[in-house]
Amino acid sequence: MRALEMIKAELSTKAGRIFTAAAIVAVILPLVVRDQFFINAMMLVYMYSIIALAWNLMNGYTGLLSFGHAVFFGIGAYTLMLLLYRGVTPWIGMLLGGLLSAGFAFLLGVPFSRLRSHWFALGTLVLGEIFLIVFANWRAVGGALGLDQPRRFLLSPPSIYWLNYARPTPYYYLALGILGLELLSLYAILNSRPGYFFQAIREDEEAAMASGINVTLYKCISMAISGFFTGVAGGIYTVRFGYIDPYAVFSMMRISVYPVIAGLIGGVYSLIGPIIGSLIFVPTAEYLRAIVGGTLGSRFQGVHFASFGIVLLIISMRIPEGLMGWLEMRGLLKPLMASGGGGDER
Amino acid sequence: MVDLWLLGQATTSGLLLGCIYAVVALGLSLIWGVMEIVNFAHGDFLMLSMYLSYFLFTYLGLDPLVGAILGFLMGLALGLLIEKGLIEKVLGSPPIVTILVTFSILLIIRYGAMAAWGPGVKTLHPWYFMAILDLWGVRISMAYLIGALISLAATIALHIFLTRTYTGIALRATSQNRLAAELLGIDAKKMYTLSFCIGVALVGLAGGILSTFYYVIPEVGGRFCMLSFVIVVLGGFGSLLGTFLGGLIIGVAEEISAIFIPPVMKDVVAFILFLLILMLKPSGLFGEVTR
Repeated sequence: MRALEMIKAELSTKAGRIFTAAAIVAVILPLVVRDQFFINAMMLVYMYSIIALAWNLMNGYTGLLSFGHAVFFGIGAYTLMLLLYRGVTPWIGMLLGGLLSAGFAFLLGVPFSRLRSHWFALGTLVLGEIFLIVFANWRAVGGALGLDQPRRFLLSPPSIYWLNYARPTPYYYLALGILGLELLSLYAILNSRPGYFFQAIREDEEAAMASGINVTLYKCISMAISGFFTGVAGGIYTVRFGYIDPYAVFSMMRISVYPVIAGLIGGVYSLIGPIIGSLIFVPTAEYLRAIVGGTLGSRFQGVHFASFGIVLLIISMRIPEGLMGWLEMRGLLKPLMASGGGGDER
Repeated sequence: MVDLWLLGQATTSGLLLGCIYAVVALGLSLIWGVMEIVNFAHGDFLMLSMYLSYFLFTYLGLDPLVGAILGFLMGLALGLLIEKGLIEKVLGSPPIVTILVTFSILLIIRYGAMAAWGPGVKTLHPWYFMAILDLWGVRISMAYLIGALISLAATIALHIFLTRTYTGIALRATSQNRLAAELLGIDAKKMYTLSFCIGVALVGLAGGILSTFYYVIPEVGGRFCMLSFVIVVLGGFGSLLGTFLGGLIIGVAEEISAIFIPPVMKDVVAFILFLLILMLKPSGLFGEVTR
């Protein structure tokens, strides 16, 4: 309940009021704007925000840089799809997908917690490639062709039980709702003992160990929480698009790299930084793809992704603290949510 | 019951392939050992060199092995350019910054190549592409054999450089203790640049060798980045002998496992081997310190 009181206090500050206003705008947006492409793009912003927040729990708060979040995303996406074939509602599928992903992330933490900074990042990158190879060659889950949603969903009338709508608005609210839940949970976690332990591990692993923190266990816990929300985001993808294939859901560029860029643009030492980053980055990438993508053909992908690299290079060399950190350092912004991150210490 | 001949065959080609893998991984290991930086773009420098060989062979008719030597020189130049232009500016920053900088270089090179040369598969066929050498019943691909011999020579040359020359000894001193090396008058910054150049040049050499029997696509770097990573972890971080033996083990493991399971899954075997090593002996098979 301490967390609830803290949130109340946060929301009564000036920045908190801006945040509340933004949340209200987000809720009424689909009622005002009729442009379906825009609503869909905003839904993607929330979906990627969910991943970016989860990614940043590992990167910004525990010091574990991951280039392989597509693995957790894909596990969630495939779990939901396979359960749909068994006639299980997507709501349960989404939850189970998240839990399975969390379980996998926790187990992965056992060997991976031995890898330090650089090698951890390289290990996650490699893991993504391995999952792509395995799923592209695994006949039982559709192989390289992937899986279509069961035919009867296309025929049955849209319902909240099956989440089989054609228009993007219901998914917009689904993603927004889950993002809100995630933000609250992460806030509560980060302002409790595990949250402090994560940050202690990020600052100095040896010192954390010397103070009696079980470093391996807490790395695993951080990965499990991160894996859970990323898996749920994978579920959102499956219900929204109704079709998954390994090259889409285990994609390094489309899934794993997005949260990295979004997190860095927004700022990794602030809780809501990754959301701000997604708000800037995801629509830019989506509109660019829609407008320019058609004219350049297959080479466009090369130009598109190479430009991601240039953006990432400039940010990491010039403003590694991100937009939120940059604003905070110039005193233009007080830490919006008491993030406890490095942003206010430096 | 598996044919013994088949096992011998797989072991032989695994060892030859392993020598080449080892050279790819040596660059990664050397840069880590001296600079404590992991070069994420490692596999993509390899890809660039493969394209160099491809273009030289297709348009000028140059043998890919000449291409490999030019790849080595290109690696030296590229390494110098990138180390001086980008890496040196972020040395001493938190690890996340150096990781992201090399990762951005990966994205720019890999997808720049896709934009420039298209995503299609390219192959080149020198005279020894399909040539087979029969050695007491064991059949050896000429391309593997030539590649392995050059790789072996490169590894020995690197070993001699690191143990017999003043510069090489200074490089090792920097990797062991930067401060002490600087007190003895070694310019650590120069050593960093040198190790990065040699690391990229080695992978440039390996790219030319690999192009004689491996297909060339913009994303080919991903697979070799993965293999180098597994090899370096297997051999113990930053240990040159360990890295070489790690390369041989992975080469043999891949070739033998390809007998039992579909060949596309052989990378998965390498990865599982890596997970086992991390859980059972995290310092690697031949390493001494855990990083």
